[in-house]
Amino acid sequence: MRKKIFAAICAALIIFVGVIYQYRQPVTLKLGIFAGSNWDVPQGETYAIIDDVIKTFEAENPGVKVTYVSGIKKEDYSEWLAEQFVAGDEPDIFCVPADDFNLYATTGALMNLDDFISDDENFSVDVYYPAAFNFGRHEENSFALPCESTITFMFVNKTLLAKEGVDVPQNDWTWKDFLEICRKVTRDTDGDGIIDQFGCYDYSWKQAAIANGVKLFRDDGRTSYFADSRMEDALKFLMELHAINGGREISPKDFDVGRVAFRPFTFAEYRTYKPYPWRIKKYSSFEWDCIKMPAGTSGGNISVLDTLLIGMSSRTRHKDLAWQLMKKICFDVTTQQEILKRSQALPVRRDVIISAEAQEIFSWETRDTAAITPADISDAMDEAVMPYKFKNYDSAMRYANGEINKIINGIVPLNNALNKLQKEVNAFLQY
Amino acid sequence: MKKFLTVARMHRLLYVYNGAVIFVLMAFMCLTQDRINQSMAARSFLEQAGAIPTPAPEIFLTTVATFLSLVFVGSFYRKNKNPRVRYLLLAAEIIICMLLMRSLNLSYDGIVLLVVADLMFRYEGRRQEYTLLIAMICLYFIANYNLAIFQTKTISFEAYASYYNVDAKAVILAIRNSFDSINTVFFVFYLVLLVKSKHEETERIRLLNEKLEEANQRLRAYAIEVEQMAETRERNRLAREIHDTLGHALTGIAAGLDACIMTLEVAPEVTKQQLNKIRDAAKKGITDVRRSVKKLRPDDLERLPFQEALLEMTKNYSESSGMEITFDIFSWSKNLRQDQEDIIYRVLQESITNAKRHGHATKVKITIGGDEKYLLIVIADNGRGCDDVKQGFGLKHMRERLELLHGTVHYWSDEGFIVEAMIPLNREVDNDKNSDS
Repeated sequence: MRKKIFAAICAALIIFVGVIYQYRQPVTLKLGIFAGSNWDVPQGETYAIIDDVIKTFEAENPGVKVTYVSGIKKEDYSEWLAEQFVAGDEPDIFCVPADDFNLYATTGALMNLDDFISDDENFSVDVYYPAAFNFGRHEENSFALPCESTITFMFVNKTLLAKEGVDVPQNDWTWKDFLEICRKVTRDTDGDGIIDQFGCYDYSWKQAAIANGVKLFRDDGRTSYFADSRMEDALKFLMELHAINGGREISPKDFDVGRVAFRPFTFAEYRTYKPYPWRIKKYSSFEWDCIKMPAGTSGGNISVLDTLLIGMSSRTRHKDLAWQLMKKICFDVTTQQEILKRSQALPVRRDVIISAEAQEIFSWETRDTAAITPADISDAMDEAVMPYKFKNYDSAMRYANGEINKIINGIVPLNNALNKLQKEVNAFLQY
Repeated sequence: MKKFLTVARMHRLLYVYNGAVIFVLMAFMCLTQDRINQSMAARSFLEQAGAIPTPAPEIFLTTVATFLSLVFVGSFYRKNKNPRVRYLLLAAEIIICMLLMRSLNLSYDGIVLLVVADLMFRYEGRRQEYTLLIAMICLYFIANYNLAIFQTKTISFEAYASYYNVDAKAVILAIRNSFDSINTVFFVFYLVLLVKSKHEETERIRLLNEKLEEANQRLRAYAIEVEQMAETRERNRLAREIHDTLGHALTGIAAGLDACIMTLEVAPEVTKQQLNKIRDAAKKGITDVRRSVKKLRPDDLERLPFQEALLEMTKNYSESSGMEITFDIFSWSKNLRQDQEDIIYRVLQESITNAKRHGHATKVKITIGGDEKYLLIVIADNGRGCDDVKQGFGLKHMRERLELLHGTVHYWSDEGFIVEAMIPLNREVDNDKNSDS
């Protein structure tokens, strides 16, 4: 009996010492980020912003250390993150690649943030653009916060338009204006009988569908709406646009050398190539600017808002600190301003985008006024839709892409093709 | 001869086997997780698994800890005697079993059979069927429906196996299935042994019972024999007594009277003397007979004053039978004759015995009262009584005895059985005086 009591006391002591030891260890928060930009544009000083954030965070929370593994490339990040999860070694908070969001949200790897959001008085979701914030939601629950966004704009070759005597379109332009300009500029300039100046490069049917207000899938990804009449309108428009080129395929090189009037571009690309020195390096032969995407006949000047999400591991042992750090990255005004100033992405806070600082940052154009203002950007982000992120989205779209390209290229007649496509895609989604 | 395969050994074998299987599966899962990470297949594994796996060290720790606690709780369950504690232990065992299955990602449900084995080990019939049924249903649900709460967050064994190529996967799954099958075989074999041992035990008890019955019968026969022997001895003693006393006296008297007949006319004086002698002999014979009869009286009556003898008798009876006997004496005639005492004693004795034997009474109340002319005795019990009293040997005897004293007896059932005996006193005293003088 005495032996048993002795053993019990020993065990209790060991546990006690262990607990004390655990408590006295400095708290380390692990952060999962990848090197470089999420938007496939070159970026110097990869970790500059996050290092600053960590520095302030550590200063505000003494005894807390934030670490991250540097040098993980964006293309390796998804696998790296999965490995960390399998090994049980995942970071407390981490960037969630858009393709992985659903996986981690459904498997319970991401912490449900609803309680944090409702309990934290200093936090409000109203500052975010809805498309950005909702991107981090899954089935009515928030699993991640937006950190930075980018949006697609139409890149305009001002030199070319000026040469053809066309004004740069306004931000509320429509498909009709778009077609008109394209018809006007598409011609053979050197008289060799081959068309060598074009209206638009890379305007995809997805962009057309969004601009025309088509909702292609139900949010849960179980059914699709390809047979929508607006989708048919979009395809008819694309076929017209396609017909202008007379069957000539346009290459990126045509655009780079200044022979194409329009090309959709992400804002990140705009930010990257607009200022010195990239401007010199990439598009030096012509003047260019960005405007909103053209509006479809029954839609608006809408485009897709891509957002980088930050999530919290559901297994983290420092929930509150992790939430503080998340807020520091995704909610803190200073950090969001830093993102605006020092990266190519757009911050997700509305007040930061329409602030005076933003005004300054966007006015690189000293010679003439830029076509797009922070208010326009903010409008575009408010109107923007978020990309789909259900599990089979990529494969469904790959299939639909093939079929729709056949329609646009006139291989398959339009008449009933969309109904058929919808049926096939639905069958695929059900499976 | 010691048997090689006992229930206890089979039970231990079940535990050892399951422990080994659990260890192998756990090692397989941990190593697979490790390999997945090394071969950069984590993303696709997560996609297929549909859940985040528990880290390998945690799997190892929880599995080992839960299995060890299962072993401990199981052994306590099998040894504990207190039924309440046992139900608690059983509940604990089921919970641990669930946790263990959870830590193994529900990939092996053979552990359930282990718990059932423990359960069966302690199964004793007697209203435990329901407990057994409920426990079995619970375990069945654990095993087959994998508990909805866990389901979303567990990774199927197939997902682990799918990491390997098709051939290896087939082999792995086959091995896993054979683990299950072998476990079932062991379990069934264990049950067979268990049932056999329980059957042997009941058989042994049955044999013992038979022996006991046999011994009882022998004892009964012996008791009858002894009784008969005692009766014979008593009869012999009586015969001897009669022969020695009455025979002796009567023989003497007869011989004396013969002589008297001869001498009556010749010598009347001598005859007179002789007759006197004969009278003395007859008197002596009477004394002898009295002495003999006295020897047949109950010991207590001989030894103690009558009242005390009665108390002594009832006290002894209530001590030996557990029946509560109370006396309520209103009046008591001081000068009872010996034969009256005897009969009262026997009536009480007989009534008490009947109350116990036929009425299964627990309480008997004896009331004695009356005046100089008669004595009334009421014996009431709280037993079953009986509606239709058959006058058995006992009651008949009682009546006959009382009739000797011109007394009466009545009996009826009310809240028990009541016997009422009435003995007249005065007349008998006169009679007695007449006969005694």
